[in-house]
Amino acid sequence: MLRAVGLVKSYRAPSGAPIRVLGGVDLTVKAGEIVVVTGPSGSGKSTLLNVLGLLEAGDGGDVWYQDDRVTALGRTARSRARGGYVGFLFQSFLLLPSLTALENVLLAARYVGRSGPATRQRALDLLAEVGVADRRDHFPPQLSGGEQQRVAFCRAVLNDPPLLLADEPTGSLDDANGAVILAALRGRARAGAAVVVVSHRPEAAVGATTVYRLRDGALESSWPHE
Amino acid sequence: MLRGYLFTVLGIAIGVAGLVSLGAMSERIVRFIDGGDRFVLGQISVAGRGMGMGAGFTAGGLLPASAVAAIAAVPGVAGVQPQVMLPLNPSTSQFMTLTQELVLGFDLSVPMPNRHYRSLPVRAGRFLREGDRRVAVLGAAFAASRGLGVGSRLTLEGESYEVVGVLDRMLTAPDRFVMVPIADARAQWVAKDALLRTVLASGAMPLTASDLNTGAAVGWRDGEDPDAVALRIRERVPGVNVQLPSELSQLLRSSTAFFSALLAGIGVLAFVIGGLSLANTVAAAVFERIRDFGVKRALGATDLQLGREVLAEALAVTLVGGLAGIALALSLGSFIDAFVAGGNQQLFHFSPRLLGGALAFSVLLGTAAAAYATARVVSVSPAEAIRRAS
Repeated sequence: MLRAVGLVKSYRAPSGAPIRVLGGVDLTVKAGEIVVVTGPSGSGKSTLLNVLGLLEAGDGGDVWYQDDRVTALGRTARSRARGGYVGFLFQSFLLLPSLTALENVLLAARYVGRSGPATRQRALDLLAEVGVADRRDHFPPQLSGGEQQRVAFCRAVLNDPPLLLADEPTGSLDDANGAVILAALRGRARAGAAVVVVSHRPEAAVGATTVYRLRDGALESSWPHE
Repeated sequence: MLRGYLFTVLGIAIGVAGLVSLGAMSERIVRFIDGGDRFVLGQISVAGRGMGMGAGFTAGGLLPASAVAAIAAVPGVAGVQPQVMLPLNPSTSQFMTLTQELVLGFDLSVPMPNRHYRSLPVRAGRFLREGDRRVAVLGAAFAASRGLGVGSRLTLEGESYEVVGVLDRMLTAPDRFVMVPIADARAQWVAKDALLRTVLASGAMPLTASDLNTGAAVGWRDGEDPDAVALRIRERVPGVNVQLPSELSQLLRSSTAFFSALLAGIGVLAFVIGGLSLANTVAAAVFERIRDFGVKRALGATDLQLGREVLAEALAVTLVGGLAGIALALSLGSFIDAFVAGGNQQLFHFSPRLLGGALAFSVLLGTAAAAYATARVVSVSPAEAIRRAS
């Protein structure tokens, strides 16, 4: 489902010197697989996820979603590719504070041309599935961190994207809520989605197909975890 | 759609309220000047030569009945209405006022010759009629400042007058007028002017009541050039001061040049201050939501979708903020005008063109500011947008 070849990305330090974060990363994730990328803070895990999800451009290399070489697309086509292929889960949830939980979930459908009662019903079903149906009319500041991440998960999977990219999805949660989110991600993989999780927490690797460690801009194969 | 925009709407409302309030003050001055201009362009004003008691555009010496008859005989003249215009309070302090309170006496046997004011708009009661005595019609500001209405009584030079009408607020000179039949105005003139009383008592001049005019309003026939008719009167009738409508208009304009400059300055200030405030508020509201834009782009929003969304929101927010600002300005203006009404003043004029223009201006400027801010925001990557707000 996801293939990345030779991804390169550098940032400029305040002094102007380039800092290479990704030094030619190759990665393949098939449908139904969970790939976990670990590494210390600042190692470039989030940057890798951003480049894979077309949230920022790399300096080199290519990314394919299925057979589409999405790094070759223009701005609008990239936006459409994100909307059509990818669901994102962020450490800080990134819910829109002016929208209710249900409206936040439905936001994912707005930009891919889906709307109507069926989409709304699916959003309600998803909220019920993760145990926050009774919070659907609450605004994010009225929700706990765990509840917010559950809502964010519903938003990420509303359109049934074939690729889920999760950036430290349990980083702001307690163990119990973290376990709920990780279980939900595994469930998506079982349903056929390709899942990439970036995390520094060991429990994220439980059930992973492959675990990589990002070091010095390159992925080192770590261990598959049962 | 407007949830979460309360402070933006308030910010816009304050900017628009400032713009509308300053604009309304400017409109007030424009209305005053235009009203005077319209009046002087609607008639030829004639006064007796020399200096006398007359005030306003009839300032000058006596305009006797013979002169009135001579003017009426000039080709092109359609009607001559003798008038008496006197300061209500002829004390020296009144000379320093821009908008003096005046007594204006009309000869009601002659139709109003002013082409732009065939009649004056009466808000309550009625206007003067031929044969009336000891009755008065008051300008709106004059009536309001003294708490007078139809049926009230007013004492002028020791005589009691019944108020039979109050004019609509015209935002120009007649707002401060007391209008009476010319016979009553003549009586007041004699009562006010000791020199005139002495002359009359001495019998040195063969004067009758109909000679006691401070001026006359002269109308012209259809198709006539008013300036040409005025020049003809000047040539053919000796001993009168004739004001050419265009000259008088120019004189009025030059005497109000300071105010014209002032209102232009107020207008520019209103646009700059109100506009900057509004544009800044809208742009700040968009920049503030950079993270939201990052999230929406992560969810697949294209630049066009985001642009449309932001412009629709900006339109709605500036419209609501603009309307709230107008309401705020109207409330403030009404409050201040009510406060100063006792001093015979009206500081604001909220004309439809001002309100419509302010709303259109705020919506256009708000939308433009939103478009600029959106273009800036979408120029950064979604990841950068999310990072910047973290």
